[in-house]
Amino acid sequence: MTETRTTPPSDSITDVAPEAPSIAKRLASRPQLVLVAVLVVLIVVTGIIEPNYLSVAGLRNSLVWAIPIGILAAGQTLLMLTGGIDLSIAMIATASAYVTANQSPKGTAFAIAVGLLVGLLAGSLNGLGVGVFRVNPLIMTLAMAAILLGLFTGWATTIFAGSTRMNDFMRTVGGGNFFGGRVPWAAVVWLGVALLVLYLLRRTGFGRNLYALGDNPIASRLSGIRAWQVLVAAYALSGVLGSIAGLLIGGRIGSVDLQLVGFLLLPSVAAAVIGGTSIFGGIGTYSGTILGALILGVLQSLLTFLGAGQGVQQVLYGSIVIGLSWMYTRLASAQ
Amino acid sequence: MTATTPTAERRLGSPEVKRWIQRHGWTVGIWLLLVVLVIWYTTLIPKFGGFQTSTIITGGTSWIFLGVAQAVVVIAGGLDLGVGGMLVLTSVAAAQFMDGQSLGVILILAVLITIAAAVVNGLVGWIITVSKVPDIVVTLGSLFIYQGLALMVLPKVGGGTSGSFRWMFTGSENGIGSNPWPAIVVITIPVVIIAWWMGRTRSGLSLYAVGSDKTAAFLSGVRDAKTKIVAFAVAGAFSALAGFSSVSISGVGNPTTDGGTLTLNSVAAIVLGGVALTGGVGSVLAVVPAAMILFFFNPILSALGVDPNRAQVIQGILIVLVMMVAGVLEWRRSRRS
Amino acid sequence: MSDTPNSVLTAKGIAKNYGPVVALRSVDLSVEPGEIHALLGANGAGKSTFVKVLAGVIHQDAGTNHINGDPVSFKMPNEAAEAGIATVFQDPALIPDLSLDQNLTISGLQHRDVEPWLERLKLANYDFGLLARDVPLATRRLIDLARALALDPQLLMLDEITAALTPEQADLVFDVMREWKRMNRSVLFISHRLGEVLSICDVATILRNGRDVANFSLDGVEESELVAAMLGEALAGAAPAADSGLTSSVADDTDVVLKAIDLDFRGKVNGISFDLRRGEVLGLTALEGQGQDELFALLSGDHRPNTGEIIVNGEPMVARSPYDAIRKGLVFVPADRQEALLPQRSVRENLAMPLYNRIERWFNLRRDEGKRVGAAIERLDIDTRAASQVQRLSGGNRQKVTIGRWLVEDFEVLLCFDPTRGIDIQTKTQIYELLREVAAGGASVLIYSSELREIPLVCDRVLVMYDGAIVHEQPAATATEEILLTAAHGLEVVSS
Repeated sequence: MTETRTTPPSDSITDVAPEAPSIAKRLASRPQLVLVAVLVVLIVVTGIIEPNYLSVAGLRNSLVWAIPIGILAAGQTLLMLTGGIDLSIAMIATASAYVTANQSPKGTAFAIAVGLLVGLLAGSLNGLGVGVFRVNPLIMTLAMAAILLGLFTGWATTIFAGSTRMNDFMRTVGGGNFFGGRVPWAAVVWLGVALLVLYLLRRTGFGRNLYALGDNPIASRLSGIRAWQVLVAAYALSGVLGSIAGLLIGGRIGSVDLQLVGFLLLPSVAAAVIGGTSIFGGIGTYSGTILGALILGVLQSLLTFLGAGQGVQQVLYGSIVIGLSWMYTRLASAQ
Repeated sequence: MTATTPTAERRLGSPEVKRWIQRHGWTVGIWLLLVVLVIWYTTLIPKFGGFQTSTIITGGTSWIFLGVAQAVVVIAGGLDLGVGGMLVLTSVAAAQFMDGQSLGVILILAVLITIAAAVVNGLVGWIITVSKVPDIVVTLGSLFIYQGLALMVLPKVGGGTSGSFRWMFTGSENGIGSNPWPAIVVITIPVVIIAWWMGRTRSGLSLYAVGSDKTAAFLSGVRDAKTKIVAFAVAGAFSALAGFSSVSISGVGNPTTDGGTLTLNSVAAIVLGGVALTGGVGSVLAVVPAAMILFFFNPILSALGVDPNRAQVIQGILIVLVMMVAGVLEWRRSRRS
Repeated sequence: MSDTPNSVLTAKGIAKNYGPVVALRSVDLSVEPGEIHALLGANGAGKSTFVKVLAGVIHQDAGTNHINGDPVSFKMPNEAAEAGIATVFQDPALIPDLSLDQNLTISGLQHRDVEPWLERLKLANYDFGLLARDVPLATRRLIDLARALALDPQLLMLDEITAALTPEQADLVFDVMREWKRMNRSVLFISHRLGEVLSICDVATILRNGRDVANFSLDGVEESELVAAMLGEALAGAAPAADSGLTSSVADDTDVVLKAIDLDFRGKVNGISFDLRRGEVLGLTALEGQGQDELFALLSGDHRPNTGEIIVNGEPMVARSPYDAIRKGLVFVPADRQEALLPQRSVRENLAMPLYNRIERWFNLRRDEGKRVGAAIERLDIDTRAASQVQRLSGGNRQKVTIGRWLVEDFEVLLCFDPTRGIDIQTKTQIYELLREVAAGGASVLIYSSELREIPLVCDRVLVMYDGAIVHEQPAATATEEILLTAAHGLEVVSS
C-alpha cells in the first residue's frame, strides 16, 4: 500500500548530487565502530568493578556465554536479512541436543548426524511454510517451537526415553578447553560457523539473494529471484545452526532436558538487533552480530558481578533492543 | 451489521441472510465448533456438571482476555508480543500488592493496575509510532521488560489476593468451584463493551480503518498514530484483566511464567478467531470461542486418554494449517486485485 | 485571472517538491461561486498533486490558499472538509474492510445524510451493509461522491471521477454537478475526457510542468484547442527521429522476436495483438490506466493472461514468475523505480542481481562480475560517487541502474515502462541512445512512454492504447504529439 503523502509524482526535472556526509551519516555507514567502542567500554567497566575479570578466565567466561548466542544469532541474522525471524531456533537446538544425547550410545558420529538432521528437517519445514505457503514467519516459527516442545515432551518418555547424557566428544567440544585451558573448543566451532556465514553473506549469490529479498521483494521477483527457494534454504540453514548451538550447550552442561536452550532465544534476536541487522530485512552483517553476541556475553559477566537479578537483566535486554533499534532507525533516516 | 434495506440486486434466497452468514460465518462457525466440542466432551467424561463447566470457563478466562488484547492491536494493523509479559507483570503486581488487603482496597488496586497497564502499553504504542521501529522489535523489547519487571516486583512465586476477588473471576473463594456465572459475567461485560466500541463508534472503527487501508483512513480523517496508541492501551488493559484472572485461579503470583508462550496462545486464538494478521479484518466476538477452544483442547484430549503433550502438537499443527490456508488465500486475493 | 473578492477558493503560487523531484512549481487558481472549473493537463502535469494540496492531504512547500478570503492551512483532509472543500480522490477513500455504513460513521455521517444524494445517483436502495471491498469500483466512486456531497461543501473537487463510470452513471454525476452549480456552489473537475469537459465545464485552467499556463472560458472552444493548450510550445520542440539520425528503419520481413496474440486480462487488457521485430524499437503510449501496466505485467511474466498467447522466438511462453520470462529473454524495467531497486544495497549488487537468480549460481560470486558490472556502469555512464547505497543516487542514475541490470547478461527484448519519467534531460538523451544501441545490437525494445515527445525520437513504430485495446498504429517518425494525444483520448485521428 502506498502512502499518499509520500508517493512522488511522475514529473520532475531536478536531480541533486549527493551531499558531503555528516557525522551521523558516517556513523551510520560504520555502525561496527560504535559497537566495538561499546564492547571495549563494557569490558573496562566490568574490569573496574571486578579487577579479576581482566584475566584469561574472566574473559573466557564471557566468551563461553557469547558462543551459543553468536551461533543462534547467525540463524537470526540470515533470516532477519530476508525480513523473517526464527523463534523456533532455541527449541530446535534443544530438540537436537536431546536427540544427540539420546542416541549417543549408538555412536558419536551417528548421534551428532541425527541431531543435525533434526535442525535440517525442522528448518526446512519452517522454510516451506514461510516460502511456499506464505505463513507469517513469526507464526510459523512460534508454532514450530510449540510443535517440537509437544512432540519431545511426549517422546521423552517413549521413543527417546533413556539416556539424557551427552556423549563425551560433545562434552569436550562444548565444555572443554585447549591451549592450557585458555581457549574453549567451542570457540573453534564458532570460528568455523562465523567464517562460513561471513563467506555466504559476502561472497555468494545466495547471500546476495538474502539481502535482495529483504530489501525489496518486488524487485527481487522482477529480476527473477524465486523467493521460496531462497527462503527454504535459509530457514533450513538456520535450523542446522540451531542444532550446532544446541549440541554445544548440551555438551557444556553434560546432560539435556527440554528447557536446555529456551533462555537463549531472546538473546539471539537481541544480538542480531544490537549488531545492526534490521528486522525489516536488507541491512545487516554477521560481523555486527558477532559484536552483539560478545557485548551480551560481557554484559552477562557485568551483571553477575553486580549481583543483578534475572529481572534487572531482562529489563536491560529489552531496553537495549528498543533503544538500539530506535537509534539505527534514526541513523538510517538521517542518510 | 443492521442493514435491512432491500438490495437492488436480485439473488436467490435472502441476500441479507446470505451476506450475514458470509460476513459472520467465521464467528458463527467457531461458536458452533465450541458447542460441538462441549457436547462431545460431556459424552467423554462420566459426569459433566457445574464443576466441569466452571473449570473450563474459568480456565479459559485469561486466554480470552489475552486473545482480545491481541485482536485489538492486530485489527489496527499491529502486533503486540508483549501481552503475555504484561499478563505476568500485572498478575504478580496484583499478588504482591493485594495480599492481605480488604476488598475495597483490592478493587481500587485492580483499577489502578489496569490503568497503569493501559498507560504503559500505550507508551509502547507511542514508541512504535514515533520511532518507526517495527512493532515486532519494540514489543519483543517490551516483552523482555515486562518479564523483568515482574521478577523485580515479585522475585519468586508468592503473594496472593482476597477470596472475594478470586470469587469474582472464578466463582469460588479458593479458585476452583462449581459456579461458572461470575466468570461468565466478568468475561461478557468487557468483551461486549469492546465489541460495541469497535463496531459502532467512530473511534473504534478507526482501528479497522487504520489496519485495513492507511491511506484511505487518512483521507477519511483518521489519525494513524493516535489510533495505534489507543489500540496498544486497550491491549494493555485487557492483558491486566487476564493477569487478574490468572492470579485468581492460582491464588499466587508466578513471575517465572513464560510470557512468550502466553503471547503465542493469544496469536493462536486470534488466528483461529479469523482475525487477519494483515489487519483490518476480524471480530473480538470470534476470538472469545477461539480462545476457549484452544484452552479446551487439553481437557478434551486428556478425557480421550491422549497424552497432554500431543495436545500441544495438534494445536501447533492446526495453527500452521489455518495460517497456510489463510496465507495462500491472502496471496491469491492480492494477486487478483 | 479573475480574482474577485468573493472567490470560493484562491490558491496562489502553490509549489511542492518531493525531495529532488519537483511536482508543482507555482500554481495559481481561483474558483468562483456557481462555477464548474476544469483542471486540465497532460500526464504528470501536477493535477493530482495540486488537488491533494487543496484537499489537505499533503502540505505545500510554498504558496497560499484562501477559502472565502480566509487563509487556510490543513493538516488533515477532514479539516479541509470542515472548511468547505470535499474531494472525491482518484483512488476511492473508502476503507475496504468496513461496510459502507461503517465508512459513513468514520466520516462522521449517518445514512440519512447521504440518502438524498444516493437517490439522485440511482443508488437509493443500495445495500449499505456491504463491505466496501465487495462494491464495484464505479459504485464505490458514486458513494464516495454522495459522501462528499453530504458534507455540504462549497467546493467539490472531482479527480477523474468519470474514468470508472458507465456513460449513464457519468450523466447522473453531470446532473448533480449542474444542480450544485444552480445552488451557487462550485466544482473543480478533472478529467481526461475532453468531450465531457467541454459539455459540462464553464472555465478551464491548464497545468503544464507544475505551472498554470492558461485560464480561459470554455465557450465555443473545441477539443483540438484544448489539446493544443495542454501541449503548449512543446509542439515545436520535438524533432522527428528521422532527422536526428537515431532511428533506423526496420524491414517488414525481419523475424518477429515477440508476438502477442489476442491477450486478454481481467478486463484491463482486451484482445491485444502485436509483433515486435528483431532490432526494432516499438513505442507504446496511452493515458494513465488504459491497461498498459497490465500489458507489461503479462509480457514480463508477472501475471499470466486469461486468454491469448505470448510467443517468443516462435515458442509460446508460459510464465509462472518473471524468472521464466527472463529465461526466455524478456527483461523488464518497471515504471516505479521503487519496484526495481534494492535501495539499501550498493550499485554493484543492484546491477549484478540477475546473475544469481538460478540455484546453480548461488554458491559463489561470478569471477567476471566486476567486469560485467563495470562494463554496464561505463556503458550507461553511471555516477558511482554514492555507490554504497543506491537510494543515495540521483533519480537519473537510479534509472540507469534499473536498465543497466539487464546489460550484465544477454537478452532478447527489453521491456521499458516509462523509463524517462521524472529524470533530467541529459540522462534522457543517454537512455534514448542506449535503447537505439540495444536495437542496433540485434535485440528489440518495447517502450511505453507517457512523454509523447520522445516517441519519434527513439521509436521506429508506435502503438496507442485506449481502454485496454490498441486503437492506433503508425510509423513513429510521423507521429506528432497532436496525433498521439488525440488517439490516446480515444478520438478519431484525422490524417492530415
